[in-house]
Amino acid sequence: MTSRNRNLAILGLVVLLLGASAAIIATKKTRLGLDLRGGTELIYEGRPTPKVPKVTSESINDAINTIRKRADALGVSEPEIQQSGATQISVSLPDVKNAQRAKDQVGTTAQLQFYDWEPNVLGSRGPDAPYSGATALYQAALVASKSKPKAEATDIPPDGPSKDVEQRFGGDKKKIEQYYDRRNDTTTAKYYLFGPDKRPLGDNGKPLPAGTTYQPSASCKELLSEFTPQKGKPKTYAPGTDCAKELKALGPAGPPAGSRVVRVPQGIVIIESERQKNQPKTVQNFFVIEDDSELSGSDIKNPKAQEDQQSGGPVVTMEFTDKGRKAFAAATKREAERGSRQILPPGTPKDQAFQRFAITLDNKIVSLATIDFVQNPEGIDGRTGAQIEGVGSIQDANDLAQNLRIGALPIELKLISQTQVSAELGKQALHQGLIAGAVGLVLTILFLLLFYRVLGMVATVALLIYAVLLFALVKLIPITLTLPGIAGMVLTLAVAADANIVMYERIKEEARSGRSIPAAISSGYTKALKAIVDANVVTVGVAFILFTLATAGVKGFAFTLGIGTLVSLFTAVLATSAILGSLARSRILSRPSALGVARERSGWKFDFMGKSKYFFSLSGVIIAIGAFAIAGLGINFGIDFESGTRITAPLQRAASVEQVRSTLDPLGYGDAKIQQVDDPGLGKNVVQIKTSTLQPERVNKVEAALDQKFGVRTGDFSADSIGPTFGSQIARTAVIAIIASLFLISIYIAMRFELKFAVPVLIALAHDLLITSGVYALTGKEVSTSTVAALLTIMGFSLYDTVIVFDRIRENVPRMPRATFSQIANRSMSEVLTRSLATSFVVLLPVGSLLLFGGETLKDFAFALAVGVISGAYSSIFIATPVLNEWKEREPVYMRRRRVVLEEHGGMVPAFATAAEATAAPAAETAAPRAPRSRRERRQRAARDTRPPAPPRAAPPPPPPPPAPAVTDGDGDGDGDGDGDGARAREQKPRVTSTAGSGAPKPRPKTKPKPKQSRGRKKHGRSR
Amino acid sequence: MSLLVWVMMGIAVWHFTVFLPDRFRGGIVGAFLAGALGAAIFGFALNGGSVPGRDDTELVQAFIAIPGSVIGLAISYFWGARADRAAGIDHGMTHEGS
Repeated sequence: MTSRNRNLAILGLVVLLLGASAAIIATKKTRLGLDLRGGTELIYEGRPTPKVPKVTSESINDAINTIRKRADALGVSEPEIQQSGATQISVSLPDVKNAQRAKDQVGTTAQLQFYDWEPNVLGSRGPDAPYSGATALYQAALVASKSKPKAEATDIPPDGPSKDVEQRFGGDKKKIEQYYDRRNDTTTAKYYLFGPDKRPLGDNGKPLPAGTTYQPSASCKELLSEFTPQKGKPKTYAPGTDCAKELKALGPAGPPAGSRVVRVPQGIVIIESERQKNQPKTVQNFFVIEDDSELSGSDIKNPKAQEDQQSGGPVVTMEFTDKGRKAFAAATKREAERGSRQILPPGTPKDQAFQRFAITLDNKIVSLATIDFVQNPEGIDGRTGAQIEGVGSIQDANDLAQNLRIGALPIELKLISQTQVSAELGKQALHQGLIAGAVGLVLTILFLLLFYRVLGMVATVALLIYAVLLFALVKLIPITLTLPGIAGMVLTLAVAADANIVMYERIKEEARSGRSIPAAISSGYTKALKAIVDANVVTVGVAFILFTLATAGVKGFAFTLGIGTLVSLFTAVLATSAILGSLARSRILSRPSALGVARERSGWKFDFMGKSKYFFSLSGVIIAIGAFAIAGLGINFGIDFESGTRITAPLQRAASVEQVRSTLDPLGYGDAKIQQVDDPGLGKNVVQIKTSTLQPERVNKVEAALDQKFGVRTGDFSADSIGPTFGSQIARTAVIAIIASLFLISIYIAMRFELKFAVPVLIALAHDLLITSGVYALTGKEVSTSTVAALLTIMGFSLYDTVIVFDRIRENVPRMPRATFSQIANRSMSEVLTRSLATSFVVLLPVGSLLLFGGETLKDFAFALAVGVISGAYSSIFIATPVLNEWKEREPVYMRRRRVVLEEHGGMVPAFATAAEATAAPAAETAAPRAPRSRRERRQRAARDTRPPAPPRAAPPPPPPPPAPAVTDGDGDGDGDGDGDGARAREQKPRVTSTAGSGAPKPRPKTKPKPKQSRGRKKHGRSR
Repeated sequence: MSLLVWVMMGIAVWHFTVFLPDRFRGGIVGAFLAGALGAAIFGFALNGGSVPGRDDTELVQAFIAIPGSVIGLAISYFWGARADRAAGIDHGMTHEGS
């Protein structure tokens, strides 16, 4: 296919894609994330149960299916429920304003259990007297901790043991009973934490407000996860405490002295007793029972919410399945027989001997039915079903019936993060994100037009094509567009522009060296492609790592970044080249000035390697300041890592900070950071509350307290709450993501270049990360997951610049067989500095617009990016290349060259090699050409040797003009005449370079240009 | 957090090795590792074999790292110089850049 046909085919494909994209954009809806449309996101961690002893992906999938049905029942449109990590489930419920109801409905285990009451109640108080009073739970826990489950014949199902079980235990009755006793358990061992006053401790060691349901933990680690260990003497805890080792490890930072951890073994449970009429909400009574459930929620069917015919209150009625009916009949028969066997004192009514059957829902008694053995001497066959009373409102009854219908969750779920975004804030964020994106796009286009003129117009067209294709892909896949996702899209604009810049700079360079414009476009495109692909592969790799490891919000960013980079490769590599190829012979590109070539004749004249030591010192000082700042001021980690809650509450009535504090104080959050904020979108009385101790499951308590006192505009209430488990997981994955990215980058660079090129890249990236950390410590800005995502992105961008420089070094090494490595590096830097600066600047344009116009989240993100991009550009130029130079100069071949140059220049190495010096190979290094190894090689050599002096396109690439002729003729062309035409002259003359096939070594130039010695250059006195 | 501070300070000190002849074992990269490792090991030793956490990291940790990195760099330098002498080469000549 000719290049013209190829270009036409590509342009045709682009037009087709644009048409399809327009159709997709017009017809498909954009899916907005919670942060842009408002709603609630809940993240749960799956915990094992005795029936599901290990959380597997199958059990997570089962739980997801159950949650999806519950979310549908809640009437949520487009809920997103997905697995997050190995054991977590993320539930996004757009437009849901009542987070508490969503939590109750979605995350409640809905474990319905039926217990034969009297024989299972443990403790000396008997089945009618629960533990009560302020220390009720403590008393119950102590009794429970000392109790042991008993294996009995009644633990075996009514149909007897299964054959498998009989075979497994060889018919040993005791073992079979033990097996079924454990199988009947509904929960694993639980840990309770009590303060010195024997009341349960809640968040961060604060006493749990009366009436609040205590959530025991599954392990010592989980129970104490809110406490950060500190060095020092540990506190003294109550004698007999469990988790003594873990408490000691906390040092002085553990729970209050005198606290006690109580472990309740598997097989024993503490349940809250049935609430009596007029029982105050703050009063809770508890029973300790053996966990021998007769039947469970899976044994019922057709649960319905109804009005009780007698009381008129809401109840939930249900029927039993066949299996459930059998189990119910067997249990009630046993109860009837037990009741009838009771011998009562004379005159005592028979109903005193009636036995009871308890129905519990998530460890709370919801019904305690009496089995009348007089009326039902054979028990109750279960055909009439059962009912749950005292449910609350009719909506609560409906929700419960719904949950029972859908079924219990197969595993326990612990809420580890809750985010609640108001629709108004979401709208604001979307607006700000779009403005930032538009401004970024306009600035980038302006820069391209000003700097590259006609090429800039081509780039603008390419950018617009890119924007349309990306937006269509976002709608087609569909990608849920989040705020970080918008940041990703804005950034990929820079990626797309970067690719154009790299290509255009190369084309300009080729045109400057005297090539015709079509030849310059063709050659520049081919040469730039490698660097573009290298840099973008790494960006896609980093995006993939981020996507694999990060949490939901950052995942959106990573996905958009990855997709955007791939699309930008398509538009920059294929579309741009086709447009340019089509324009190459047109009048528009007839003059070099159309490419912006004429303006840049002078190039860079700077001894980069010679002066690098001063830049090194500057870096050292900056990093030292950063180290002092981190040591002295610390890094301000946000709640993403530290765990805690940030609330934005629009109040209906004005409230001072002190009034809000006094409202939070009884809940244990009096030490929260409270501030009044001015947000026109949310009204006048907006307060922001930040506390490290408030856990996700208690956010709605705070909302309720504020609502009661000041009135909260529920729809606009926003909260971001991260539990300690999730916080530490985020921190861990952030570190893993950074290490994995560094690993990927080094492997890729080592493969594409050589291992020695990978190490300076890593050192430069370490610089970027350390400098950014130092800036964060100095400014006190909060480090969040967005910051980590930004840091990883910086790694990709920083690498872009470094790859461009290294690519040019790699290209120049064979062209300059006599030059020292520092001269090669200087030459390469001079040639590519403009494009390095331009790519960094073009990234800063959209980043700057995010910083100026983005909302709070985008600003944080943009700040990290801005610092990183500046530091990345600096480190690519002044760290990576000098380190590579220093390291390569130790290689014998470069030591030899350096010695020769030192001898020739009176003990000095000029910053730039003259053209002749660079290209004429030293005798020592010019080996006789090896014999051709293949017929093809012989043919090629013969053709080369018989060819007339090489025309510009066919010749091996001549050394590019030295743009910084510190030691040559002053015009930068290296030809000694100062007229600046050296490059053209070289192209028309036979090459001086000694190459394979030319035979004998070439003589050195007879007249050596006298080097201009720049100030500060030192003699190399130690040459041997 | 102290580990980060030590390593950072070690790297900061390493930057100034460009003013010395390049006789470090492994060149500038060897010096980089020596500076960072020296600072980390010295900091670790001076803190009784532990790494102070975030709350315990104070300004003094940054100062502690300086002698550690200098010791690490000195070891690398003399080791490299000895190896150079044994091999009959002088990498010091390569260091001055251009």
